[in-house]
Amino acid sequence: MSIIALDAKGGRGVAVVLAIAGWLAKFVAVVLVIATFNFVLVHAAPGDPAQVIAGQSGSADAKLLSQLRAEYGLDKPYPVQLATYLKRILTLDLGFSYRQQRPVLSLLLERLPATLLLTGTAFLLALLVGVVLGTLAGVRAGTWSDTLFTVLSLLLYAMPVFWLGLMLVLLFSVKLEWLPAFGYVTIGVEMTPLQHIRDIASHLLLPAVSLAAVYLAIYARLMRSSVIEVTHQDFIKTARAKGLKQPRIIARHILRNAILPVVTVAGMQAGALVGGAVVIETVFAWPGLGRLTYDAVLQRDYPVMLGVFLAMSIIVIVLNLVTDAIYRLIDPRVSLRAAS
Amino acid sequence: MNRREFAKLGLVAGAVGIGGIPLGLTRAAGQTSGGTLNTIIQPEPPILVTALNQQQPTLTLGGKIYESLLRYDFDLKPIPGLAQSWEVSPDGLIYTFKLFPNITFHDGTPLTADDVIFSVTKMLMETHARARGTFARVDSAEAPDPHTVVFRLKTPFAPFLGAFDCTTAPIVPKHIYDGTDYRKNPANAQAIGCGPFKLKEWVRGSHVHLVKHEGYYRPGEPHLDEIIYRVIPDSASRSVALEQGTVQLTQWTDVEAFDVQRLSKLPNLDMTTKGYEFFAPHQWLELNNRIAPMNDKRFRQAVMYAIDRKALLTRVFFGLGKVATGPVSSKTRFYEKDVKQYEYSLDKAKALLDDMGLKPGADGKRVTIPYLVPPYGEIYQRSAEFLRQSLGRVGIDLQLQGIDLAGWAEKCSNWDFSMTMNLVYQFGDPALGVSRTYITSNIRKGILFSNTAGYSNPEVDRLFEEAAVATSDAKRQELYSAVQKLLVEEIPIVWLVEQDYANFIDKKLKNVITTAIGVHETFGTVSLG
Amino acid sequence: MDTLKAFLRHPTGMIGLVILVAVVALAATAPALFPDDPWDMIGAPFQPPLSEGLWLGSDMLGRDVAAGIAYGARVSLLIGVASTLAAVFVGVVIGAIAGYFGGRVDEVMMRVTELFQTIPGFILAILLVTTLGPTLTNVIVAIGAVSWPPLARLTRAEFLRLRGREFVQAAVCQGQPPFAVVLRHILPNAISPIIVTGSLTIATAILIESALSFMGLGDPNLMSWGFMIGASRTVMRQAWWMSVFPGIAILLTVLAINLVGEGLNDTLNPRIARRVRTA
Repeated sequence: MSIIALDAKGGRGVAVVLAIAGWLAKFVAVVLVIATFNFVLVHAAPGDPAQVIAGQSGSADAKLLSQLRAEYGLDKPYPVQLATYLKRILTLDLGFSYRQQRPVLSLLLERLPATLLLTGTAFLLALLVGVVLGTLAGVRAGTWSDTLFTVLSLLLYAMPVFWLGLMLVLLFSVKLEWLPAFGYVTIGVEMTPLQHIRDIASHLLLPAVSLAAVYLAIYARLMRSSVIEVTHQDFIKTARAKGLKQPRIIARHILRNAILPVVTVAGMQAGALVGGAVVIETVFAWPGLGRLTYDAVLQRDYPVMLGVFLAMSIIVIVLNLVTDAIYRLIDPRVSLRAAS
Repeated sequence: MNRREFAKLGLVAGAVGIGGIPLGLTRAAGQTSGGTLNTIIQPEPPILVTALNQQQPTLTLGGKIYESLLRYDFDLKPIPGLAQSWEVSPDGLIYTFKLFPNITFHDGTPLTADDVIFSVTKMLMETHARARGTFARVDSAEAPDPHTVVFRLKTPFAPFLGAFDCTTAPIVPKHIYDGTDYRKNPANAQAIGCGPFKLKEWVRGSHVHLVKHEGYYRPGEPHLDEIIYRVIPDSASRSVALEQGTVQLTQWTDVEAFDVQRLSKLPNLDMTTKGYEFFAPHQWLELNNRIAPMNDKRFRQAVMYAIDRKALLTRVFFGLGKVATGPVSSKTRFYEKDVKQYEYSLDKAKALLDDMGLKPGADGKRVTIPYLVPPYGEIYQRSAEFLRQSLGRVGIDLQLQGIDLAGWAEKCSNWDFSMTMNLVYQFGDPALGVSRTYITSNIRKGILFSNTAGYSNPEVDRLFEEAAVATSDAKRQELYSAVQKLLVEEIPIVWLVEQDYANFIDKKLKNVITTAIGVHETFGTVSLG
Repeated sequence: MDTLKAFLRHPTGMIGLVILVAVVALAATAPALFPDDPWDMIGAPFQPPLSEGLWLGSDMLGRDVAAGIAYGARVSLLIGVASTLAAVFVGVVIGAIAGYFGGRVDEVMMRVTELFQTIPGFILAILLVTTLGPTLTNVIVAIGAVSWPPLARLTRAEFLRLRGREFVQAAVCQGQPPFAVVLRHILPNAISPIIVTGSLTIATAILIESALSFMGLGDPNLMSWGFMIGASRTVMRQAWWMSVFPGIAILLTVLAINLVGEGLNDTLNPRIARRVRTA
């Protein structure tokens, strides 16, 4: 990643354009490589989708199978299939799903909002709450509340994300019956838009919290040590000497500088977060891309599998973009992308 | 909630699509007509045209839209469908069906004998593999008048009369499909049939909305105004929907086996396992007869003795079903119960294995066999674990292999397995659903649900072939009893359980399960209250 | 030995070590404590904890949960360590090559590493296990294949730092081949942070394995903690103990490893402690 030093407003504009161009290039490259990689891997395995479709109808025979193979293009050699696939991706044609009888793109677009909602909420939740808790712990370093904080964050960090989800369901849905255990919306009940939003929010709460928890712990601990380190630096002592009040110091000076490493790490963890969405969506029957991944894997639905992996990787790239933007927003003086 | 979240939710709410789904039941006081039935379809079917796709959900839903000539009661005797009467010639070669006079398709066109002939001899022959197996025996078909169909067979085939349910021979409109590419025909999206309900709307991922076909040929039917099939992929959500009354009917595995007992206790629901007699699914342990030691009859018998099938039924199937005694299900015609009994006996199993020369090694194992776990759900996983423990006790070490759907289909159909579990339907008559597993001529590589075990016995072949073309039921029973006794002695595969499925029906609903295909029927007679 | 003494005095590290030793002991003595196969259906189904003979209850087929946890410890530790070794091997080799040679080679290696970090790792693991088949070996390979990037980055950073040091340059001037320089001079000095990150990777590997087993993608012949939680999901209402106890087992093990790792970190390299934790 290029490090571009900025020294003037004009320079800033150019840098933004260059950054975006860099992003696009990376985007396209990643998409193509992932597509090829996925395709090779998936086709290297045994199993034939035509068989499954035929087998389900009661009694299959060779005529039906070859019919299906021709219809779904399974009888062409792999390199030809791959080349056509790559060409089609670049024109946004992601193929047709054997099992679901619809274009992959429409399947992905249908499930995308749910996953974006989940991962987006979890990401922001983890970042915001983590930063706040970490700051509080950092300024109270050494006190009992700090110790409590450390213990809790250590526990959260060690939990398997799906187990946390199950435990939350056990407590809040089965025992207390405060929140729904699964799904996206309550079916069969007519609702006003406002009620509908509240309904979705109540379904979103547990999955988002489960997914966010681990990263929350990471960011909080990181923020804490970052805050402690910044607090001991000279310019803070100067501020204190000048007579500035503590809250002002925190907000204006400490926070801004301490948050930068956290944002960087958040970007690096984006891949893990999106991967975690697969398990959470399975646990909570959340109708997003993660759930689709699992179903497609089970059914060996090639086009959907490839489409989902692609889509998930793109979400990761987008999250990286977001963290980079946040980073720049917080401190435009510094490089566009911290060297790792 | 900040602006960003709000906007996201707005995006999402729009994508999901809110209202417009009628809520629950509308009860017209004192009358039995009208109302909406809410039920579940799981998983969501790929299309609704049953002639083109015979996967489970398509058949369940499609039965309301497409009818066939006959229906079958719980004893699998034919009763009128689109045909009001029928005749079979004494030599068993000529079948004459008289259709009801006033049948119309959903687009208003009358249904005539030509549509029947087109469906049976042209379209289904190309698109419906199972129907093809039966209708290939048709030599010629004629329509002496618009409401009479005459089928002439090449040789007598008694089960021919059992092949006219709406899942095997749905009648489609000739004027829409003749001469076109059936699978790509744009009319497939409208699913035009002649059943009591027609398709109004299909919101993918959400629901399928059917409404009354006003020109339906049976007077007073259908009683219901609408049926809504809801798509609910998660099993726990389905149970909740049933409990809360959001849906009034479930079938097959909509409700998981372990939840059946709990939900049966609810006061507003009836639970019945009737309505699957036509399918009579048979669960068995499939042994590849080509590989040692499974090619030895003694080994197979030992396996049969070593498995406590009653315990399997209780622990894994939660009591939903019956222990299987042989190749023919007790619900299928010509079932013979007087066959060799294999009680649960570890000693007998060990004796047989010793007799074969398979002695236990130092670690107690006699032989190691890979077992392919079918990825069709929890029941198969738990069964695999149960079987491993059971066979482990007599020294047969099962190594479980996980695999995906396509992989399982490929390995099973290409004989690349040693042991696996399989579930096969019987379709009411041994000639239609049972013989295909045991006859030599159906050992076809690459085809699922054929004779994949590779068992070959000329005596069995002879008995099945004669029984298929015999013209009297008494003669057929005699032959089928003989072949069942023979097969149970030979045990080509280890029959485990005749699986039952629970239908949950709201007490307000009437006439839901009236035939041997249960919820796959047209629902013309179903009413609320 | 100074490091060892320092570690023994590190409070949280010691707590972690104690827990970890307990887990390892449980794994080692499992056959003695629970002589029956954990897959054996020894009791009635759905027995709650503290039923007779079943400390932690039984599952839906009547299997002993406590036995499952003891034998599950073996599986988790085995897979955790084995896949970490694989990841360390791959990561160190790639990072070493990148850091030592620099320039174009470095660019290429880093692009590859970045690629692997952009693809959601867990999804890649699912893809690999599904493609290759759910067996023990394949699970280890899959987890190793998604865990190496942080190790590669770390190794590279260390190598870059040490490459410029005088004693290394001296060795190069002497004409020693790159392989020897790396093995004799650079690696020994880079080893501490690698050990720390490696031990933390064991924890991540155990978490990934449990997630894979939970989703039914693990080896079906192995009774692992993730598998137990996965099997419990549909019957959570009836039998909460089937999901709670295996989860606690994972939690404690991962926590212990993390504590030990951080203890090692603090004692081995106080200087770059912070940098390692942010990697």
